[in-house]
Amino acid sequence: MLVVDAVAFGRTVAGLIIRPYETYRRIIKHGKVGELVFIAAAMVLYFSLASLVKVASFRPFLLTQQFTLLLWASVSGALLSVGCIYVTSRLLRARTTFATVLIAWSYTLIPTILWFLTTSLLYVILPPPRTTSALGITFSLLFLIFSATLLWWKITLCYLTLRFSLKLNLAKSVLVAVLCAPVLAWWAVNMYRWGVFKVPFL
Amino acid sequence: MSDATYQKFVKRWEEVTDIPPQALGPFTGIYKQITKRLKVMPWPWFVAASIGFVLALYVLIGSTITILTSLLQGGF
Repeated sequence: MLVVDAVAFGRTVAGLIIRPYETYRRIIKHGKVGELVFIAAAMVLYFSLASLVKVASFRPFLLTQQFTLLLWASVSGALLSVGCIYVTSRLLRARTTFATVLIAWSYTLIPTILWFLTTSLLYVILPPPRTTSALGITFSLLFLIFSATLLWWKITLCYLTLRFSLKLNLAKSVLVAVLCAPVLAWWAVNMYRWGVFKVPFL
Repeated sequence: MSDATYQKFVKRWEEVTDIPPQALGPFTGIYKQITKRLKVMPWPWFVAASIGFVLALYVLIGSTITILTSLLQGGF
């Protein structure tokens, strides 16, 4: 069972890179909650690494505390996003289920995990601050291009989530995004204030 | 048309008509042009848009982009 889900997950991730549109159509039609185990595993892997980088010492209590904090904060963000999209879609009378939105939204976390993972590794290899030397500016340009590329991918996947899971037109999809934005902004501000995520993990 | 081909056609037709087509008035053409490029292998467009965006940002704020990078690097 796990092997079947693993193959399905691998196919889906490859599809999201090469053919995001068709892949989202398939996710909505045939996606299973079991596939989310692999996204959760990727998150656990990342948060383990991030805890080590943030705590910067091998203290089991502090590492566990940091890991738990990051994990629950990210789960709360994901559930808030899905819940917000689902409630808004019900207000707009879209035909969908919570599980469908959950599966579709969870796949949008792949660019997020990838960005956070790369950023934390770069933090170890080339710690900030960046200088205004030629090398510093070149690195900054490359890092920003990489970040923006993943952001476009993320935006595309978010749009496809709204388009396919809610079956709404562009105007209504934008309306859902606009209605959800203040709630997610409130979450992001609180995460920043509490020092959990400076860049929202959404 | 053989049964298998017909069934394949019907399945594909049902998939395509499952969601309503986008109609944005005068902007429908632009929307279709953009989404056409994003449906299969969108990475060249993502990278091109990112390069354009970052270079424009560099022209606009100059070496201050290093501060932005430092903030983002510590943002995980």
